[in-house]
Amino acid sequence: MSTTPQPTSNRKDRLLLHRLLFATPVAIVLLMAMVLTTPNVQASPRVQSTATPTPQPTPTFDVQRLEKPVIADDNSEQVQKGSIIYWGICMACHGDQGQGLTEEWRDAFGPQDRNCWQKGCHGTDHPPEGFLIPKKMVIPAVAGSSRLTRFKNAQELHDFILANMPWWDPGQLTDEEAWQVTSYILRLHEVMPLEFELKESNASAIRTQYAVPQPGDDRPAILTLTGILALAGIGMIAQDLRKNRPRATERPNFFHHLHPPTVPALQARLRYTLGVGGLAAFLCLILLVTGILEMFYYIPVPEHAAVSVEVIASLVPFGALIRNLHFWSAQALMIVMSIHLLRVVLTGAYARHRRLNYLIGLGMLLLVTLLDFTGYVLRWDEGIRWALIVGTNLLKTVPWIGDSLYQLAVGGPEPALSSLERFYTWHIFVLTLAMIVLGAWHIFRVRRDGGVAVPPPEQRKEEARITRFDLVRREVSIMLVAGVILLFVSTMFPAPIERPITQNTIDVVAGAHTARAPWFFLWVQQLLKFGDPFLWGVALPVLLLIGLALLPYMLPQAGSHELGRWFPRGNRLAQVILIAIASMLIVLTVLSILPDLQL
Amino acid sequence: MKNTSRRDFLKLSTNSLLACAGLLGIGGLIRYLSYQFDPTPPGEFEIGPAGDYPLHSRTILAHIPAIVIHDEEGLHVRSLTCTHLGCTVEERNFGFECPCHSSRYDPVGQVIKGPAGSALRKLRVVKSEDGNLHVFTG
Repeated sequence: MSTTPQPTSNRKDRLLLHRLLFATPVAIVLLMAMVLTTPNVQASPRVQSTATPTPQPTPTFDVQRLEKPVIADDNSEQVQKGSIIYWGICMACHGDQGQGLTEEWRDAFGPQDRNCWQKGCHGTDHPPEGFLIPKKMVIPAVAGSSRLTRFKNAQELHDFILANMPWWDPGQLTDEEAWQVTSYILRLHEVMPLEFELKESNASAIRTQYAVPQPGDDRPAILTLTGILALAGIGMIAQDLRKNRPRATERPNFFHHLHPPTVPALQARLRYTLGVGGLAAFLCLILLVTGILEMFYYIPVPEHAAVSVEVIASLVPFGALIRNLHFWSAQALMIVMSIHLLRVVLTGAYARHRRLNYLIGLGMLLLVTLLDFTGYVLRWDEGIRWALIVGTNLLKTVPWIGDSLYQLAVGGPEPALSSLERFYTWHIFVLTLAMIVLGAWHIFRVRRDGGVAVPPPEQRKEEARITRFDLVRREVSIMLVAGVILLFVSTMFPAPIERPITQNTIDVVAGAHTARAPWFFLWVQQLLKFGDPFLWGVALPVLLLIGLALLPYMLPQAGSHELGRWFPRGNRLAQVILIAIASMLIVLTVLSILPDLQL
Repeated sequence: MKNTSRRDFLKLSTNSLLACAGLLGIGGLIRYLSYQFDPTPPGEFEIGPAGDYPLHSRTILAHIPAIVIHDEEGLHVRSLTCTHLGCTVEERNFGFECPCHSSRYDPVGQVIKGPAGSALRKLRVVKSEDGNLHVFTG
């Protein structure tokens, strides 16, 4: 990093250049100081520059402005650290204001050095440790109008800096430092929102050519909403606990009319139903609303899909909340529906005329699995690449019709534009519509079959009934509790999004991205490690589904007197089989993530 | 069937006609959904002159994805697409490993450990008149 001092040169004039060239180690020291003092960092931290000699002003350039890094009026730690790296490494060539190597900026080097690159004294024959000033390259400005046009967004700028800068030693910056510099440059360029922390999951949303509106802080509003709902939930539960509540003086509204006027108290015990059926319906409702809201911003085109998701998640007011609610409701729905299935089998509730409704429910579980998978693919980011390729290639392994199935699902020779369009259509329309139809049918069948399974009236020990007002109130209480939990989880844990899939940039670099299936398919991923893809990845899961569908048809059922409680004797075999299947899926899932846990 | 009344006959024929219409409709739907307008991905890649790949070199070409291996047996190209379910394998000290289902291959692409059933595909290489090598994935 040092040039050999020329005995004939004027040292005073060279001081500034040397100062710039020596600045890198200084910057590193400053950076470490920043890291150590981070909690006390204010809007303009005092950066000491006593380690370098005071520069001598030249007549045409006010070197005062080089004394210390220009720290943006943004107290984000990332921008501040970026400004120090920029000052130490990038500024020598790109200028203190991102103006590039302009005439004015050359003046800062002093008369002896300003034309040095033209004379060639810093040419390629310079000692290897030396600082080569590029002779032929134009050193571009990095800030100002119509600059940075070769980069679409912050992600591309970051990737370029990480791979190519500083130009005499590319790869010197760590990934984190590259984000810091990117962040600072985009602040100079005035397109970066304030207090915005750039990372892989939002950098594609920050464009280099126009400033996005400053996103606001959603948290106070979300907190208020959560608080209000929590209070309402407490109110609901308190109403339910009141002993002498007025009976049947209320007028039933639309939702009351969806219920029978009274139901046996036996059917409304939380320890029996676990409330999972109602909870699943509630989650479906949230998914429908948040899904429709996401459609206003989501763009189902490969170049834009992941970017639009990042826009929703990092810029749109309450976009993160809506996306996270959609994500977490979908995950919760998988779990709630599985518990519902367990509950129905472990209480023998699918007996006799309820068999059909059991099948409808199983169909809905299948639909939700497909919905979760298609929704996951809509991210179209690096995180879904391998799951998509494996999932669609599995279709090809089906004998006879494999290629046609692949064709139908992917819509082309390989996953591309048409595949995304297809997954989008399946997700937002076909599967959703099927889900609504089956859901309505399922709920209708519950009513038609006489409500939740309990013994027939003559075999009941408890005769008490509750009104639909009480029933609806209990349902709403559960919804409020679930809503508060969902809001909390959605605020605390963002849904995943990685960098967009871009053409021809497949990383062969080991471990660049995880090749993990979505969590509800981890068991299939583990099965696929055993051998033949069709047998393990298609035939076995399909057989499992058929086996589940046949449970009520092939195996003994619970007697009618046994209904309405857990673990009846009548269908013990079915219970054992289901528990065995469930344990197997859990074991396979754990096995598939075990290698990562040990690492 | 000899007691078939006119009414039954009419009912049967109507239902059969409706079933035919339904089948035709499903056939049409499948044809509708099977149309391909995406271009077939390129099956030929130019990878520059042979001199770019000296003896004992191993060069990964991420965009194909493939690896050019130049050893005693000459210059050959192996696809880096796992033969199991199509993920791109990653280089390891023992050869290659698939990130999806942990299939392992040795440095020249033979299977060490399943679930993959066959070796990494050997790709055809042709030298064109201008001296550049062309790799064919098809």
